[in-house]
Amino acid sequence: MNEKELQIADKIKELLNSSLGIELDILTYEIPLFGDEIGLDSIDSMEIIAAIEDEFGVSMTGVGKEPFYNVESLAKYVAAHAE
Amino acid sequence: MTENRNRCVITGLGMVSAIGNSVAECWEAALAGQCGIGKVASVDSTGCYADLGAEVHADDLDNVTGAADMDRVSKLCVKASREAVADAGISFENDAARCGVIMGSCVGGAVSIDHFYRNGCPAEDVRKMTISPIANQVAGQFGIGGIVTNVANACAAGTISIAYACDLIRAGKGDAFIVGGADAFASVPYAGFLSLHALDAEPCSPFNRSSGITLGEGAGALVVESYEHAVARGARIYCEVLGSGIGSDAYHITAPRPDGEGQMNAIRRAIRTSGLEPSDIDYINAHGTGTAKNDEAEFLSLRTIFDGEHTNLRVSSTKAMVGHCLGAAGAIEAVFSVKALTDGKIPPTIGYTEEDLTVLAERAGNIDFMPNMPKAAELTSVMSNSFAFGGNNASIIFSKKSGNVTAPVKKAKVVVTGMGIVSPVGQGKEKYLAAVREGKAPETNSVFAGVGAGDYARCGLKMAFYRKLDKFSQLQAVSGMDALADAGLTVTEENATDIGIIVGTEDGPVATVCDFAKDLVEKGNSAGSAFRFPNTVYNAAGGYLSICSGIKGYNVTVTNGAQAGLGSIAYAVNIIRDGVENAMLATGTDENCETIGCLYERMSILAPAGNRPYVGSGAGMVLSEGSTTLVLENAETAKARGSRAYAEVIGYGMTHAARSRAVGDEAVSALVRAVREAAVDAGIGVENIDTVIGFGNGRADLETTEIAAYRALFGQRDVPVCNVRGVIGEGRAATAALSAAHAALLLSGELSGEVEAYTLNGVPRTVEIRGENCRTVLVTAAAEDGSFTALLFRKI
Repeated sequence: MNEKELQIADKIKELLNSSLGIELDILTYEIPLFGDEIGLDSIDSMEIIAAIEDEFGVSMTGVGKEPFYNVESLAKYVAAHAE
Repeated sequence: MTENRNRCVITGLGMVSAIGNSVAECWEAALAGQCGIGKVASVDSTGCYADLGAEVHADDLDNVTGAADMDRVSKLCVKASREAVADAGISFENDAARCGVIMGSCVGGAVSIDHFYRNGCPAEDVRKMTISPIANQVAGQFGIGGIVTNVANACAAGTISIAYACDLIRAGKGDAFIVGGADAFASVPYAGFLSLHALDAEPCSPFNRSSGITLGEGAGALVVESYEHAVARGARIYCEVLGSGIGSDAYHITAPRPDGEGQMNAIRRAIRTSGLEPSDIDYINAHGTGTAKNDEAEFLSLRTIFDGEHTNLRVSSTKAMVGHCLGAAGAIEAVFSVKALTDGKIPPTIGYTEEDLTVLAERAGNIDFMPNMPKAAELTSVMSNSFAFGGNNASIIFSKKSGNVTAPVKKAKVVVTGMGIVSPVGQGKEKYLAAVREGKAPETNSVFAGVGAGDYARCGLKMAFYRKLDKFSQLQAVSGMDALADAGLTVTEENATDIGIIVGTEDGPVATVCDFAKDLVEKGNSAGSAFRFPNTVYNAAGGYLSICSGIKGYNVTVTNGAQAGLGSIAYAVNIIRDGVENAMLATGTDENCETIGCLYERMSILAPAGNRPYVGSGAGMVLSEGSTTLVLENAETAKARGSRAYAEVIGYGMTHAARSRAVGDEAVSALVRAVREAAVDAGIGVENIDTVIGFGNGRADLETTEIAAYRALFGQRDVPVCNVRGVIGEGRAATAALSAAHAALLLSGELSGEVEAYTLNGVPRTVEIRGENCRTVLVTAAAEDGSFTALLFRKI
């Protein structure tokens, strides 16, 4: 990730911690969000969409699964689509 | 044939919903297929993708006695209850102590919570916020003195309330109950279901193309009596209430199991306990919400059990007309079911086009889902199903015939085989024992249990699971899992349905509800959090415990002040005695947090730290939190698996003070009655009680009631009164349940040695008692609104 993406990734980590209760010591940039340890589900992804729209003004409604893979992929999507 | 002593009958009906302000109006409208759904007026729908609701239009809700102290939910409930009582022609004056109230609700006083945050946080809203007051306020209307409580199992609450009352009647614990449920239209459920995208933008049409629910509001009330009581007073009998089935999915907090297993368990249990076969059911009032997940699972359940068994089953969902009334749904649908049975007319499921009918025909098999048009039919037995958030399933059967409902003549003996304690002195029995021995006391006037990573690891709970829980549910999950471990009870595929859960709470997740509501006030109803909303239902904690433990049996959450922590144990005892389950987790859970602290500050009942129960200034309580879970088991099955037992639970009594207050002469006599009833239930005399674990919490008003009752019961006998709240503060239901654990620890000898106690002999003083002298221990608890529970434990 470049510097901008890293900044966004750190902000996304904060969002995932405050809105979904994901503990920061487990939440690396790479860990799969839908894996066993974090266990995101469809309700959680709705929450992520709302939080990202709120924070970055980027709409992820209707976006496929790929950007939700981990914090890094989310950050890259946001960086690419932010105004 | 059901023996007369086991027969329960419906003698009165009451209802208020979007399609009418009385049973007659609602029934006529339902048969006419009239839809009560319109654009919502009571909440703001700006920017929301769905703006429909089924709201009540009644202009007399403020005319009920005591309306100023009631949330809209209680007013709706009182209105329906008054109609049911008048319809039954029943008077409670002469046998108030044998009559009770069990009411269901999902969101309780959510209208008052909204009002609180929009209007500068007025103190008078605080006591209206939770579910607790509802049943008490109904009881207060009629001077009812028997068992009063609320069932808080979301959308199954109304159905469970009827089942519980029948269990109590069959157990000889009462003769007549007002039962049912109520919920008012409010921002919290509206915004919550919006956030889950579970609301349909069009009026819901269950088992059809509908993409979600339409929320409604209202109340349903029924008078259920023992057959003998009804006959003795010459009552008109609508029908019998036969068996019921209650269980849990152990699957997901909001979604039903796609394979319908939990639903089918409940339906089959209801049929079996009624002494019927599937082919005996003529009509089912379905849960039928209109969400794809519910409707698919219910199609599957109904077709699996009934299709092919008989060719003439009719099923309809009246939610298409009255909306999904949440905690009132089961009650409203029970009234519709009874009317269908007795009038021989079946209400339709509305909203089908010609095209929809073709699709339905392909999906429905031999079952008639009653699209659009009512039908006349001779019905003998009907079923009402309710499936709730938290994976709770409930099914109940009404019949013109008495069926074959059996109850064991010899009741099972119940023992305590495990306990899980989460409290501000640490997690686990050992830490609690150490705190008692050291004479610890809370250091501030607001203390916390501090559940954390180490506790989750010990309980085998992964972050992927516990991160979704609010604090209320986390406290419950840890104490529940610890209790199972302490009991050495392993949940397996084989025994999962033989184990159940009764959660008791005073405030439930009200902090989560308040925080959710506060967010809506700031950001609007379109901004509800889908992540947090599932935790706003009171039975979430019991649902999560079912998911993490795998328990699939009985699952009910009761809420009625702090005494719900003992009420849950009494409920569980009833279930084991009846042979419904072999083991039950009975809990008390309440949280403390910034929001809860603010609410209690508003009520001005907190004292400076150091105010001790009974011997302090009486100025107020120390706010605390925690969760206590007891594992109760059938003594025979516990012995068979080689389990040790702490103590035996030998009896319980539950009463209500006529004016719904825990202070004053009526409260004293209600507490005295609770203890006497517990003694009768246990087959002992009050003189056999050698130790009391009381509910004193530093509030002079409650302690005056309590001590006066003990003096009336024990006379000059200097019975020691132990107290848990001096050690851990007032954790409400958690502390009530901990008092029961404390009794079990005294009786098992683990609290042997010297224990501080207050005595009744003249001037208050502290003395020491020795644990080995305890043989029969009384545990008491109170609810602010005048309900009391007494439990008796005996040394094994």
